[in-house]
Amino acid sequence: MDEFQEILQDFLVESFELVEKLDEDLVELESNPEDLELLNGIFRVAHTVKGASSFLNMDVLTHLTHHMENILNKARHGDLIITPDIMDVILESIDLMKKLLETIRDTSSDAGVDVAGCVARLDKIDGGDGNIDTPEAAPAPEPVAAAPVDEPEEDELDYDNMSDDDVEAEIARLLDQRQSEDRAKREAKIAAGESVPEAPPSPDEVKAATPPPPPPPPPAAPARPSEPSGDKPNSGGSKAAPATKKAPAVEQTIRVDVKRLDHLMNLIGELVLAKNRLIKINDDVEERYEGEEFLEELNQVVSIVSLVTTDLQIAVMKTRMLPVGKVFNKFPRMIRDLTRELNKKIELEISGEDTELDKSIVEEIGDPLVHIIRNSCDHGIENPEDRLAKGKEETGTIKLKAYNEGNQIVIQIDDDGKGLDVDMLKNKSLEKGIITEKEADQMSDKEAFGLIFRPGFSTAAQVTNVSGRGVGMDVVKTNIEKLNGIIDIDSEIDVGTSMKLKIPLTLAIIQALLVGVQEEAYAIPLASVMETVRISTDEIYTVEGRSVMRLRDEVLSLVHIGDIFEVERIIDGGEHAYVVVLGLGAQKLGLIVDTLVGQEEIVIKSLGEYLKGIDGIAGATIRGDGGVTLIVDVVALMDIAKSVKSSVNKSSSSSEKAATKEKTQASDYTIMIVDDSKTDRTIMRKALGPIGVTLVEASDGQEALNILKQGDHQFDAMLIDIEMPRMDGYTLATEIKKYNRYKNLPLIAVTSRTGKSDRMRGVESGMVEYITKPYSADYLSSVVQRNVNFKSEFLS
Amino acid sequence: MSDKLKDVINKQNDQQNQDDAIDQLDDIVQLVGFIIGDEEYAVPILSIQEIIKPFSWTRVPQVPPYVKGVFNMRGAVIPLIDLRLKFGLAEQKHNDETRFIVMKHEDEVAGFVIDRLTMALRIKKENIGPAPDTINSDDTLIDGVGQEEDRIITILKPDKLLERDF
Repeated sequence: MDEFQEILQDFLVESFELVEKLDEDLVELESNPEDLELLNGIFRVAHTVKGASSFLNMDVLTHLTHHMENILNKARHGDLIITPDIMDVILESIDLMKKLLETIRDTSSDAGVDVAGCVARLDKIDGGDGNIDTPEAAPAPEPVAAAPVDEPEEDELDYDNMSDDDVEAEIARLLDQRQSEDRAKREAKIAAGESVPEAPPSPDEVKAATPPPPPPPPPAAPARPSEPSGDKPNSGGSKAAPATKKAPAVEQTIRVDVKRLDHLMNLIGELVLAKNRLIKINDDVEERYEGEEFLEELNQVVSIVSLVTTDLQIAVMKTRMLPVGKVFNKFPRMIRDLTRELNKKIELEISGEDTELDKSIVEEIGDPLVHIIRNSCDHGIENPEDRLAKGKEETGTIKLKAYNEGNQIVIQIDDDGKGLDVDMLKNKSLEKGIITEKEADQMSDKEAFGLIFRPGFSTAAQVTNVSGRGVGMDVVKTNIEKLNGIIDIDSEIDVGTSMKLKIPLTLAIIQALLVGVQEEAYAIPLASVMETVRISTDEIYTVEGRSVMRLRDEVLSLVHIGDIFEVERIIDGGEHAYVVVLGLGAQKLGLIVDTLVGQEEIVIKSLGEYLKGIDGIAGATIRGDGGVTLIVDVVALMDIAKSVKSSVNKSSSSSEKAATKEKTQASDYTIMIVDDSKTDRTIMRKALGPIGVTLVEASDGQEALNILKQGDHQFDAMLIDIEMPRMDGYTLATEIKKYNRYKNLPLIAVTSRTGKSDRMRGVESGMVEYITKPYSADYLSSVVQRNVNFKSEFLS
Repeated sequence: MSDKLKDVINKQNDQQNQDDAIDQLDDIVQLVGFIIGDEEYAVPILSIQEIIKPFSWTRVPQVPPYVKGVFNMRGAVIPLIDLRLKFGLAEQKHNDETRFIVMKHEDEVAGFVIDRLTMALRIKKENIGPAPDTINSDDTLIDGVGQEEDRIITILKPDKLLERDF
């Protein structure tokens, strides 16, 4: 049974590949009915599928393909001219075949699909134009076989209608012929003075050596006419295809389960994270051990690891790449069907189908493209009469091309149809209440084109079954945006419309801009970032409750990232802010952030089932320091921004009212002592002990900052040493002063550094007093008392 | 010599099997107990992936207060849920006894903040009573109430804990 499953899997994979190719060939065949190469190719597909399916006992499929084969065989012999009507039936039968194959894939059996109607139609064509499908038909192709077309499978068909004995006899006869043919060939070659290879040439080679269209090449010539179906005996009637393949450049490929590749990709993701971390550590080490010799070596190793990781990532990404042609393949057929349905004349030009994309994207991109192309056919390209009236060519053209542009792939769909009418779009949107009168007036042409992507918008005057399927272009947009892609439209009336889909090469690892807001960091996909600008807060204007700024000659609406993600404001932003200009198609938005951290390669991780669907968050990534950073969903963010009230200019004074409680006793005063020397801390403790204040000790800046942030104590003053490990006194003071609520906390430097520049630095970082060691206990005590407004009545 | 060894091994195996048999007979449930507020709770030991000391996490917007955010556990991004807040208690500063219990049910994984661990428990099934009737049995987080000596332990359902309820 397992073996059967295995065979079945192989059969399905092979068949789907064949069928995919088939669509393209058939459409081409219609314009080139004479092309024998094509006809043979198509015939072989039907034939191969028939052979394999009969072997697997798929009776319905066998039945259908058998009848298809009959027709195609006739066409191939010139007994039947492929008219569009016949083509319709053939295409219908291929659709059925696909359906059957899908059924087999899902259920391992081909029951449940009705092929009778189609078979009847096939038979009708068969019966109408040529011989009926009976055993007597067997000799019929024979005369044709003598015709210039010297294809091997001619007799294939007949085997099915022969009795077993007949088949045996036929095989014997063919074998005989084959042998004599080989002999003749060998003799001919010897005669021609060629060396004869040990083994007789395989049928494939013979065919390969023979240019596909007749006349046959001289060496084989003597043998040929006498053996109409000479090189076929070994195929036994079921495996015809391999025998006639043009010798293909041997492709060295292995089929790999996608799961394995996904796993590999995940591992690479981990490696990229580790690499980022390594780079960060390297930077830290560099800072600390500046000038040490081993640094150079470390640097080298880090850069090699980082280089190799990047290469590895690209290499693995490439294994997942598929040519976008896999998707493009189905469009010629679609256009053909549409042209017949809509009575238009449309030509499809495809280019760049070799451009490669990640497998997961290739799978996702099909439907949006179908929709766009349907739209172009239905709404874009005019009727032939209209086109002629406009002085255009009768046949409309849709160009579908793919190309790489930086880290993105661009899929461009151009039509030379009537173009998008801006006024019409606006009126329509007004009618449907999608936009307001005012919005319509302010809209640029580009923004107006974007209207077709709004939910509830359909420009078709009447709903046709082509593009009015209840799903609008808005679905296209959502799907493309799901892939982190963007759509760009350009159009000119009566010249045409051009749509560009810009899609990242891969989904898993992206370039991101890391921004900081307060103490948090967020990652913004770099693909959506157009530019960043530094502005001073007075460049921000408020219009109707919304913040805007002037960026060159445009007005850009602004939103603070903190307002979107409910970030608590504890640090004052200062006079300057950074604006990250986000662009999505025609839409633009300025996102105000506190700091720009930098550009980094990030690995997208899902937040999981528990936290899915958080507005504005697309996922998370793990940073070099091991922390988690959330990734901004730019599409959602643009939507949220519309409803967020401006608070950009609002000062965050509210936190200051966390005011000091009334002091009722000396121990209500809390003072932190920050010094790395235990002795120094004890001296300070001794000096302040007598007045009875509460004392908290920290041994370095980092610890002091942590104690402060925990908020267990309300400090009234801090005594800070300057020289400390981990974080020195200046840095600590600067950090503390970033917080609004510590704006007024007196910081007193206690240090043995006495230089003027030291004092200046102290003042710059926010220290209010500067006590130099050694000091008297009384002096320290009095300075502290003065700074905390110590009430004298507590002094005993 | 080797026969002797075999004998010993066989004997050991027998004994082991007997032990197992007793376990099965007694239907013992293995749990890990922990304290939240003043109460002792427990979850099945097999639902626990690991227990770790607290470390830093990243806040996530637009979630209820009891979802503290997400943290990085060896490369996986995992939500962190504060059970004190979830059970309606006031927030407490993390201290030396605070732990994150990482629980797993099917594909769902999340970390839960608890006040402190007590111990691994083996409670006989017969000593576990149903959740009090006053609690709606479909929605409750409570699987049952176990008695161990003089203690009463509320046994929680990991699948319910890991279910998103906002």
